[in-house]
Amino acid sequence: MNQVLAVIGCATVLLAVGMWLSLPRGRAWGRSLGWVLVAASVGLLASQVPLVGDWASASVFFVLAAVTVLAAVATVTFRSPVYAAIWFGLSLLGTAGLFLFQGAQFLGVATVVVYAGAILVTFLFVLMLAQPKGQAPCDQTSWAAPLSALTGALVVGILTLTVVSVFQNPTMENRPRAALELTVLENEILAEQHVAHLGAQLFSKHLVAVEVAGTLLLVALVGTVAIVSQIRRPDEWRGQSHG
Amino acid sequence: MDELTLLENYLIVGALLFGIGLVGFFSRRNMIVMFLSAEMMLQGVSVSLVAWGRYHNDWGGQMLVIFILTVAACEAAIALAVVLTLFHKKGSLDIAIWQQLREENQPLYVESQMLQLPAEPEAHWPRLTPAGVEPEPDLEEVTHRTHL
Amino acid sequence: MPMTGAIPTLLILIPALPLAASIVTAVFGRGALKHNSHVPTVAALVAAFVASLVLLAQVRSQSESESSMVGWETTVDLWNWVTIDNAIDTPAAAHAAVPAGVDGLLPATLPFRIDVTLRADGLTAIMLSMVTFVSSLVAIYASGYMHGDRGYWRFFSYIGLFVFSMVMLVSVSNFVLLYVFWEAVGLCSYLLIGFWYERPEAAAAAKKAFLVNRVGDFGFALGLFLIWTTYGTLNFHDAGGIAGVLGQTRLASPELYVGGGVATAICLLLMLGACGKSAQFPLHVWLPDAMEGPTPVSALIHAATMVTAGVYMVTRCTPLFMLSHDAQMVVAVIGCVTVGIGAVIAMTQTDLKRVLAYSTISQLGYMFLGLGVATLGGITAGMFHLFTHAFFKALLFLGAGSVMHAMGGVVDMRRFGGLRRLMPTTHWTFLFGCLALAGVVPFAGFWSKDAILAAVYEKAAHDGLFYWLYWAALAAAFLTAVYTFRAFFLTFYGVARVPHEAGDHAHESPPSMTVPLVILAVCALGVGAWFEWTGSFADLLQRTPSLAYKTVALVPAEHVAGSHTLVAAVSTAVALAGVGLAAFLYLGDPSQVLAIRRMLMPLYWLSYGKLFFDPIYNVLVVWPLWMLARLSYWFDRVVIDGLVNWVGRLPLGIAGGLRSLQTGLVQFYALAMIWGVIVLVITLLIWPAVAANWK
Repeated sequence: MNQVLAVIGCATVLLAVGMWLSLPRGRAWGRSLGWVLVAASVGLLASQVPLVGDWASASVFFVLAAVTVLAAVATVTFRSPVYAAIWFGLSLLGTAGLFLFQGAQFLGVATVVVYAGAILVTFLFVLMLAQPKGQAPCDQTSWAAPLSALTGALVVGILTLTVVSVFQNPTMENRPRAALELTVLENEILAEQHVAHLGAQLFSKHLVAVEVAGTLLLVALVGTVAIVSQIRRPDEWRGQSHG
Repeated sequence: MDELTLLENYLIVGALLFGIGLVGFFSRRNMIVMFLSAEMMLQGVSVSLVAWGRYHNDWGGQMLVIFILTVAACEAAIALAVVLTLFHKKGSLDIAIWQQLREENQPLYVESQMLQLPAEPEAHWPRLTPAGVEPEPDLEEVTHRTHL
Repeated sequence: MPMTGAIPTLLILIPALPLAASIVTAVFGRGALKHNSHVPTVAALVAAFVASLVLLAQVRSQSESESSMVGWETTVDLWNWVTIDNAIDTPAAAHAAVPAGVDGLLPATLPFRIDVTLRADGLTAIMLSMVTFVSSLVAIYASGYMHGDRGYWRFFSYIGLFVFSMVMLVSVSNFVLLYVFWEAVGLCSYLLIGFWYERPEAAAAAKKAFLVNRVGDFGFALGLFLIWTTYGTLNFHDAGGIAGVLGQTRLASPELYVGGGVATAICLLLMLGACGKSAQFPLHVWLPDAMEGPTPVSALIHAATMVTAGVYMVTRCTPLFMLSHDAQMVVAVIGCVTVGIGAVIAMTQTDLKRVLAYSTISQLGYMFLGLGVATLGGITAGMFHLFTHAFFKALLFLGAGSVMHAMGGVVDMRRFGGLRRLMPTTHWTFLFGCLALAGVVPFAGFWSKDAILAAVYEKAAHDGLFYWLYWAALAAAFLTAVYTFRAFFLTFYGVARVPHEAGDHAHESPPSMTVPLVILAVCALGVGAWFEWTGSFADLLQRTPSLAYKTVALVPAEHVAGSHTLVAAVSTAVALAGVGLAAFLYLGDPSQVLAIRRMLMPLYWLSYGKLFFDPIYNVLVVWPLWMLARLSYWFDRVVIDGLVNWVGRLPLGIAGGLRSLQTGLVQFYALAMIWGVIVLVITLLIWPAVAANWK
C-alpha cells in the first residue's frame, strides 16, 4: 500500500512539474523536459493498474489512452490557440476510440461528429474571426502556472489514489460491485443492433429528458442569437484586431 | 475481459483528462483555450461515465453522456457568443482584461505577469510568383452597364 | 343638581362653534374660502358670544335662586375619556359624596376617571362672555389687519382653535382636562407667535414662549400629581360617589381638606404653572418676545385671554389656596414684584408693543396681588381687574396695531409721532385705553385697580407685609400712568412724523378695524363703572361655589372692595400726577427728558436693559444647559456613536479583507473552488483512510 502511495505521489509531483514546465511561460526553457516528465508521470500511473485483457487489446487501449492524454496535454500547453484546438480534436478522436473500445459505438461516432465536427469547428471559426493572426501576447504567458499545475496534478493524484486503493484492496468493504449478470452488456450494448437498442432506451426511458434537452437546445439557440445581435458595429473590432 | 480492470483503467484516463483540463482552465489566458480545457474536463467525465455504465451493465452512463454532448453543444454556442461579445468590447481574447470586474481599489492580481512580449518576427508567407500575361480588360464587359 | 334649561346645549355650543369654524377654515381656507377665510370664524365667534350672553343670563337667574352662601353650579357630562379601576389606594382625604343612609364607607381603592364634563357657574360664565366678546372683536379687527397676508386662512383657523381651547379651559371641570386645554392654548400661542415663521425672530420668540411655559407647566403637572395622591380625584365637582377637589361636599365640610405642608406644596406648584402661563416673575420673560406675533394675536392671547388663564386657575382653586397662608403670601409677593418689574421696564421701552407687553405683565401682577390678599374682596377685585383689563388692554393693543398698520409695520415710537390728526379714531380710542390703564376716574381700570388696592390696604390691618405691598403697588400705579401716557404722547403728539416704510398708506385704518376699537373704547369707559355700581359682577362671581362657601377660611370682607374712599382718592391723585408728569415731560421740551435720563442713568440703564433678566437667565440656566447639551452631544458623538461605529466597522474590516478575494479573474475563482473540493476530499475521504491504514 505504501508503495502505491509513494508511486502515485511521485507521479503527481512529476505531473505537476511537467505541466508547469510545458505551460507557456514566455521565453522560459524546459518545455521538452516538461513533456518528458509528463510522459513519465503517465507511465508511472499506468504501472499501477493491471493490464486490460490480453496483450493485443491492452496495446490497443494503451495507444488510445496515450493519444488521448498526450493530445490533451498538448492542447493545454500549446501556445497557438489554433494548434490547441487541433490537438483537442486529436484528443477527441482518442476519446472516441476509447468509447468504441468499450462498445459504445454510437457515442464514439457522436463524439467525433458533434464535438470534432461541430463544436470544435465553431471554436476554430470564432478563433479565425477574432484572432486571425494566430497568436496574441496573452497566449504566451500563463496565469499562476505553478499553482495551476500543482492543483491539477493534485486532483489527478487524489482521484488515482482513490481508484487504485479501492480497487486493489480486496479487504475494503465498500468496493463497488460489478453486476452479477452482464445481460444488457452482452445482449444490447455489444450486440449488432447497438444503435437500435440505444434509440429504444433513449426514446422510452429517457423520453422526457430528450424533450427537455431539445428545448434546451432551442433556448440556447435563441439566447445565442440574442447575445450576438447586441454586437452592433463589427467594423470597430475588426479594425482593432488588425491594429 | 475483466470488467473491473477495464473500469479502473478508464477511470484513470478520465481523471487525467479532467486534471489536465483543469490545469488548462486555470493557467491559460485565452478564452477560447479556456473553453477547450473546460470541454476536456467534460470529456474526462464522459469517459468515466461510460466506463461506469458498462461496469454496472446499464445504459445509464451512455445516456448521460449523450445529454452531456447536448448540453456541451448548448454551452459552446452560448459561450462563444459571450466570448464574441467580450472580444468586441475589448478587442482581445485575453481573460485578464476582464479583471476590471474586480472589487474597487483592489490591486491587479497578475499585473506583473502581463508582460508585453516582443512581437514575434513577422511570418514570411510564401508568395506565388506572378506568371503568364495579364489579360486585357474586355471593354465591352467593363462598359456593359453604361449601355443599359 | 338639576340640569336647567338650555345650559347644557349652550355649554356644548360655545366651544363647538369655534372648533367647527377652525376645522372648516383649515380644510377649505386655502382653496375655496381664500380671502373670505375670516367669515366662518367671525360668524362662529359672534354666535358663541351670543350663546355666552344667554348662558350668562341663565346662570345668573339660576344663581340668584340659590342661597348665596352655597353658590350654584351645574355640570354636563359628555363622555368618559379614561377609566382605570383600582388606580390608587384611597387616600385619607378622599371622601365619598355620602348618600343618605350610607355612613361614608370608602372602597379600598379609587378609580382614575376622566369624564369630559363641562361646568357652568358664575366664574365660568363671566370668563366665557369675556373671552368670546374680545375674540369676536379681535377676529373682526383681524379681518382688516391681516388682509392680504399669505397665511390669512391659517390665521383664522388658529384663532378658532385658540378660542375653542380657551373656552374649554374655563369650562372643563377636571384638573387633567384643565391641563390639556392649558397646553392647547399654549400650543395656539406658539403657533400664532410664530405665525410669520419665516422671520427668525418670530420663530425664536415662539420657541422661547413654549420653553418658558414648559417650566411652569412642569410645576403645574407636579401639582396635579400631588392633588391626585392627596385627594384621590382630579374632578372639581362631586362625581361617581367621590367628593371632588372643589366639590360642594368638600366645601361644605372643610375638615376634608388637607392642610399643612402638602397644601402649601400644592399651591406653590399650581402657582408655578400660573406664573408660566400668566407671565409672572420669574417666568415673565417670554411675553415681551411674544410680541413678534401679529398684533391681533397680542391683543387676544397675550393681553386679554390666555395670559389670564393663570389668574382664572388660581381663582378656581381658591379653596386650596385658603389652606396655606404661606402660599397666599407667595402669590401676593410675586404679584407685587411683577407689578414693579413690569412698570419699571415699561418706562423706557421704545417699542410701542413692548411697552404694552410689560404693562400687561404689570397688570397681571396686580391681579395676582389681589388674589394673594385672599379675602373675598381681594379675589373679586383680582377677577374684576382681569375682566376690565381684557377690554382696555385689547383696545390698546388693537390701537397699537392700527398704528402699525398705518406705519407700514414700524412699532418704534422714536420713528413716528404726532399721529392724532392722521388717525383721529385711533387717537381717541387709544386715549380711552390709556386712561383706563392709568386708572383715571371713571374709566374701567380705575375701578378694578382701586378695588385691588383697597383690598390690599384692608388686609394691611391684619398683616404688616401688606403695607409694603400697598405702597409698592401705589408707586407702580404712578409709573403706570407715566409710561402709559409717555407712549400715548410720543405716538400721537409732538411733531408729525411718519417712517418711510409707511409709504402712501399712512392713513386711518378701515372700518373693520376702527369699529372694534370704538366698541372696546366704550367698554373701557363704561364696563368698570357699570359693574361697580350695579355690583352684579361681584355678586355673580361670589356665587361660584369655590368662593361662596365662607367656611373655607375666607375672610369675609365687610366692605365690597373699591368703596374705600381714601384709597380711591389717593390712587386717583397718583394716577393724575403720573399723567401730569408724562404730559410735562413729553409734551414739553425733549431736553428735559434727556436731562432726567442723565440724572438717573443707572436706573435708566437697568430699565432699558429690561433689568437684564434675559442675560441673567442665559448665564444661570441657558448656558449650563447648553454646556450639558454640548457634553451630552460630545458623549453621544464620541462614545456612543464611536462604539456603534466601531461595531459597524468590524464587518467592514472583515469584508475589506475578503474584498481582496474578488480579483475579477475567473481562474482565481475556479482555483479557489477546486482547492475547497480538494480540502474537503482529503479531510473526509483520504485522511480517514490513511489513518485507518496506519493503525
